[in-house]
Parts: sequence; C-alpha cells; structure tokens
Amino acid sequence: MNIPLGDYLMLSAFLFAIGLCGALSRKNAIIVLIGIEIMFNAAILNLIVFWHYKYFAVPTAYMFAIFAISIAAAESAVGLALVIAIYRQYKSVDVDEFTSLKG
Amino acid sequence: METIFWILSAITVLGALFAIMLRNLVHCVLSLILFFLGIAGHYFLLRADFLGAVQILIYVGAVAVLMLFAIMLTRHVTGDEGPREVLGGKWWAGMGTAIIIAGLLWAIIRKDQLAQILPAGGAQTSMVEIGKAMVTDWVVPFEAMAVLLTAALIGAVVIALEEVIRRR
Repeated sequence: MNIPLGDYLMLSAFLFAIGLCGALSRKNAIIVLIGIEIMFNAAILNLIVFWHYKYFAVPTAYMFAIFAISIAAAESAVGLALVIAIYRQYKSVDVDEFTSLKG
Repeated sequence: METIFWILSAITVLGALFAIMLRNLVHCVLSLILFFLGIAGHYFLLRADFLGAVQILIYVGAVAVLMLFAIMLTRHVTGDEGPREVLGGKWWAGMGTAIIIAGLLWAIIRKDQLAQILPAGGAQTSMVEIGKAMVTDWVVPFEAMAVLLTAALIGAVVIALEEVIRRR
C-alpha cells in the first residue's frame, strides 16, 4: 500500500471539519450529536493511521482506539437520553429553544 | 490499493456530508450508517481487523439504531422537519469555523514532512497480543471502562425515565 500519510490525515481533517460544521450550524439536537460522532470517528481514524504508519508492532494506539470507541458509545447513549428528556420538557428538539440557562 | 482508498474516502466524505445536510432526519441517520461503514472499510484497509469489526458492531449496530429510536421517540411521524428552518440562528459562524479549520489543517499537512512517509511495514500487532495486553498492561483502564459503561447505562435509563419516577 503506497498511500502517503498525508492523504489519510487530509481525509480525517475534512471529516472533522464536516462534523464541526454539522454540530455548530444545525438546529436539531440529534444532528448535533451526529456531528459530534463524525468528529469522534475522524479522531479515532487519525489514531489508527499513525499506528499503522509508525508503531505497527505496539498495541498502545489500538487500545486507545478501543477505549475511545467505548467512551463515544456511552456518550451518545447519555446524549440521546438527554435529548428525549429535553423533548418531554420543551416538546421540541431545537437547540435554539433551550434557553433556560441563558443569562 | 489506492483505488480502494479513494473509493472508500469518497463514500466516507459523501456519507458525512449527507448526514449533516439532508432535511429528513431518518435519511441523515441512514447516510451516517454509510459513513460508519466507510470508516470500518478504512480500518480493514489499515489492517486493524478487530477495530473494523468493533466499528460495525458498535456504531452501525448500536449507535445508529439508538439514534433512529431517539428520532422515533421525539418526532410524531417519519422525522421530517417539514418546511421549518433547519439551520440554527448563527449557522454562518459554524460553517466559517469549519472552513477555517479545514483550511488550516490542510495547509499544515501539506507543509509537513511527516505527510510524505509511507507505511513502515514489519510485524503486525496480532489479535492474541491485543487480547493479552488488555488483561495485563491495560487491565486498570479496562475495568474503569466497565464501570463507566455501567454508570452510563444506569444514567441513561434514569434520565430517560425521569417523568415516570416523578409521577409515582
């Protein structure tokens, strides 16, 4: 496989930017969570790319990736539970309408 | 190999773009599944087989289904947002930030010497080694992860059931 490291880094940089754009500019709370998941995946892909290109024989980066995936799964479960709880309160999932903590 | 990389990259980027751009929430989650599958394909290409399987099991199998359930519980019908505005109040700030960050990272990666290196090759970390590392060197993080997942499970159930508990 003769793909230079830069191509993979570029791919995950663009994926991160797409996720950031979705998390910051969409109204729906579930799409915000989707954007966060995309950013998570871009970061984990970066970790695995560096593992493959430089530290192929050491399992450390692999372990980090597995733990990061578990944390992301727990985070999305709690996040979606929060979205459901907030929907009960406000009858809406628009992030622009959650203003009770606004100073 | 290069062809597979470019096809997978196209699938991944298009999946991510559609996941945040489409109007219908269910379609968003379906293209998010496409994105997750593309990432899993990249893991297989990078010879991280176990991680690819984990990606499909956790993300495609659990997280995407969880998101579909959340959409079904928060929308009365199919998850269509209808004619209402889909972008938030300061959407231009989000898009500007994303474009600036993409440009900065692109410039940094283009300049860096590191970007030119090719895979080192050599002996791969075997699945047996990973399993052994998980129960020897990494046993404390492993157990901490078990506690975290239990706490997240209980916390998610408590948060989602709040209303029922209060009514009793």
